[in-house]
Amino acid sequence: MVYVGPFETKESCQSWKDEYELPFPVISDEDGAIFKQLSNGWVPYTILVGPDGKVQLWESEFDEAGFAAAVEKLYREPAEAQPEPEPAARLAPQPAGRAGAATIVILGGGAGGLVAAYHLRRRFSGKHRIVLVDRSPDHLFQSSLLWHMVGQRRADQIRRPLSDLTRRGIEFINDEVVEIDLANKLVKTHSEKIDFDYLIVSLGAQLVPETVEGFDEMALNLYDPKGAGMINAALESFSGGRVGVLVTSMPFKCPAAPYEAALLVDSFLRKKGVRNKSEIHVYTPEHQPMPVAGPVMGEAITKVLGKRDIRYHPLFTFEKMQPGTHTIIPSGGEPEKVDLLIAVPPHQAPDVVRSSGLIGASGWIPVDKHTLRTEHEGVYAIGDVNSVRLANGKTLPMAGVFAHYEAKVVAEQIATELQGQRSDAAFSGKGYCWLELGGGKAGFAGGNFYNEPEPSVRLYPPMRFWHWGKVLFEKWWLRHWF
Amino acid sequence: MKVLDESYKGVSEGTLVPLNELGLPAPTTGGLLIVFWKGQ
Ligand SMILES: Cc1cc2nc3c(=O)[nH]c(=O)nc-3n(C[C@H](O)[C@H](O)[C@H](O)COP(=O)(O)OP(=O)(O)OC[C@H]3O[C@@H](n4cnc5c(N)ncnc54)[C@H](O)[C@@H]3O)c2cc1C
Repeated sequence: MVYVGPFETKESCQSWKDEYELPFPVISDEDGAIFKQLSNGWVPYTILVGPDGKVQLWESEFDEAGFAAAVEKLYREPAEAQPEPEPAARLAPQPAGRAGAATIVILGGGAGGLVAAYHLRRRFSGKHRIVLVDRSPDHLFQSSLLWHMVGQRRADQIRRPLSDLTRRGIEFINDEVVEIDLANKLVKTHSEKIDFDYLIVSLGAQLVPETVEGFDEMALNLYDPKGAGMINAALESFSGGRVGVLVTSMPFKCPAAPYEAALLVDSFLRKKGVRNKSEIHVYTPEHQPMPVAGPVMGEAITKVLGKRDIRYHPLFTFEKMQPGTHTIIPSGGEPEKVDLLIAVPPHQAPDVVRSSGLIGASGWIPVDKHTLRTEHEGVYAIGDVNSVRLANGKTLPMAGVFAHYEAKVVAEQIATELQGQRSDAAFSGKGYCWLELGGGKAGFAGGNFYNEPEPSVRLYPPMRFWHWGKVLFEKWWLRHWF
Repeated sequence: MKVLDESYKGVSEGTLVPLNELGLPAPTTGGLLIVFWKGQ
């Protein structure tokens, strides 16, 4: 990978490389000659050149889908035939075009809410109100918690103030949502009441470590910025012993994250020179890593763990922690002693969603898998808070990539409907993720989760290329939407 | 995203990129990703 800075001096490129700790060359294109020859005039602009020197892919909006498409080409394997999403015509007709200005309220400024707000705003120039509500003042790029955990990112490097969205004409209310009143199409926060015409619920999954006795005394929360910072401090002073990465219960977001965490800890301890005095164990109730992606993916990840001497304990149905003896205990099994416990806490739908009447039998919000509509007119649920059943009976994993693409689809539907037309935008079930392996390498997995009878997902071999792709994606994400 | 000059044509799939002439590294494993980006 190479970055090219059009109309930038050598010095500005170097300072930029230093500021972002970019691990690849940054070339200054002072007179813009390279940019002129290869680009369409936009930045960012990405070109993938194959081993034969020919362009495989170019794009102005960097996203995972582009990467996956490029890889299909690079590996010269035809993309598997995927069923097209069902046509929108089969969907129940919606009232088209409302008179006057509409208010679209988006709950949550995480991955889904942010993308929805951005795409909606791009579609109308101020006519309709777009209101985003989040109790946090900042958007957090959660994937980078893994790098924060091993000291490769500071906490302030992986956040952006949501108030910056007001520059784009998006209203931001920094408050907690305390009630969703579906009958009256009204959302209440501690200080405001907001009527809505359309509601997009993207409140994510609520982490509830407090439901595990002893969690606070014994475990460090991998999924929380404070916890990730504490893990980093604990690793810095770690001189050897037993590290446990524990998944307390299912479901949990980002099915790859606990494995990535174990691999990054492995790299960290090797660099520190204490890996030979340490053991790393992963405990999970899953029968294999990333079960939804099928046995091939599971085997591949288990193999990577084995190669790095990370002990894997599948079907570990965690029951309790005993801080006094520093042990974790599975139901009906033997206690395991750990010196440093990195844990994924239980997840549930946020309290305000649970009391709203939106929840289904799964404990999450049921939606149409293509349109993301709930059974309440004008109300959509995207990202971790929704529940989509796949053909194999499992549910679509909680991942930012799905929140991202679902948000785009919902924004497109609402915008088209407000223009009095019917939208055929539909979420296809495709998704991609990087699998960070430490030591500057990553794997990449992607495919179609709506494939029948099983999701068709491929894991591409680990390369530095993917790691850089992940770094680039992070930088892109933290700039693009703000 | 921002536009610096909309008159540029860009490349299309299959265009041969004269990497050496442009002073860009040749692809090693798999491919080379070239990213045009402005710091500010
Ligand atoms: C360590 C880690 C690594 C990950 N890595 C990846 C990865 O590599 N790839 C990937 O695709 N996904 C990854 N994920 C998962 C991804 O971050 C989530 O799936 C994604 O953020 C979900 O988006 P969302 O919009 O549904 O929810 P979130 O992004 O969680 O946003 C929910 C928002 O709602 C707000 N909120 C909640 N309740 C209230 C309330 N009552 N009132 C007001 N605001 C409220 C929260 O403050 C938050 O900002 C990772 C997650 C973690 C923790």
